[in-house]
Amino acid sequence: MSPLKTDTDLVPSASKDGDTVLASICGEIDLHNSPELRHALLILLQQNAPKKLVLNLTKVPYMDSSAIAVLVESLQKMRKVGGKIFLTNLQPRVQGLLEIARLGTIFIITKDEAEALLP
Amino acid sequence: MDQPEKHPGSPPQPSLHLRVLSDPAFLKPVRHSVEAFCTARGFDTASVEEIGLVVNEALANVTRHAYGGASDKPVEVDVEFDGTELLVKVRDWGSGRKPPAEPRHDPLTPGGVGIVCMKKLLDEFAFTPLPDGMLLTMKRSLTNGKAP
Repeated sequence: MSPLKTDTDLVPSASKDGDTVLASICGEIDLHNSPELRHALLILLQQNAPKKLVLNLTKVPYMDSSAIAVLVESLQKMRKVGGKIFLTNLQPRVQGLLEIARLGTIFIITKDEAEALLP
Repeated sequence: MDQPEKHPGSPPQPSLHLRVLSDPAFLKPVRHSVEAFCTARGFDTASVEEIGLVVNEALANVTRHAYGGASDKPVEVDVEFDGTELLVKVRDWGSGRKPPAEPRHDPLTPGGVGIVCMKKLLDEFAFTPLPDGMLLTMKRSLTNGKAP
């Protein structure tokens, strides 16, 4: 994996291997900072054109609907190029919101990065 | 964020009154204050988190819809607990338009998740249009429909 530069503490680390991009997200995400997350993810997609985007959410204890909308927008962009988004290490509260929003089956959810990175 | 003064060692306040601006920067502190209020009154962790989520969504909707994204408008949040039921009131002085009773919620179309959360996680909620804005009342029992 080659490290990628990120410009926000919400995405403290990201890396790339072939057409896979792995990024960690950090913090409680709500309408206050979700635009910052949106910007960071769109930059990652634009600059790296991955077919697989793996988002590690182990350090995201909370998300609101605006953060969900950011993930959905990223998913829509990935789908246009035949790509997929994997969400890993979901905290219970985030998992619960995804289920309420009926998005639990739209994203590919894995228990950890290793499972998401399987070919 | 304006709120009542706390005195060390005093019993929990019977109610919580918060007066904030519609700036999304207040979402987190309001959410955390309401969650702390509920925790102190015996709500379990899952319930506390669900209540925090619906209060967050209610305030975010005020900013986005009632105030059209403006971040400098007033919002008041009142929280009361009578021993069995939590009552949360969110008052704004915005458009006064009620959200759709049945929001269109296509999982892949952003929007409408806040109302879906309220329907799923609250015992009752109601939007009451006022001459100068909107009052949202939300109720959630300590047992949330489950046996105590």
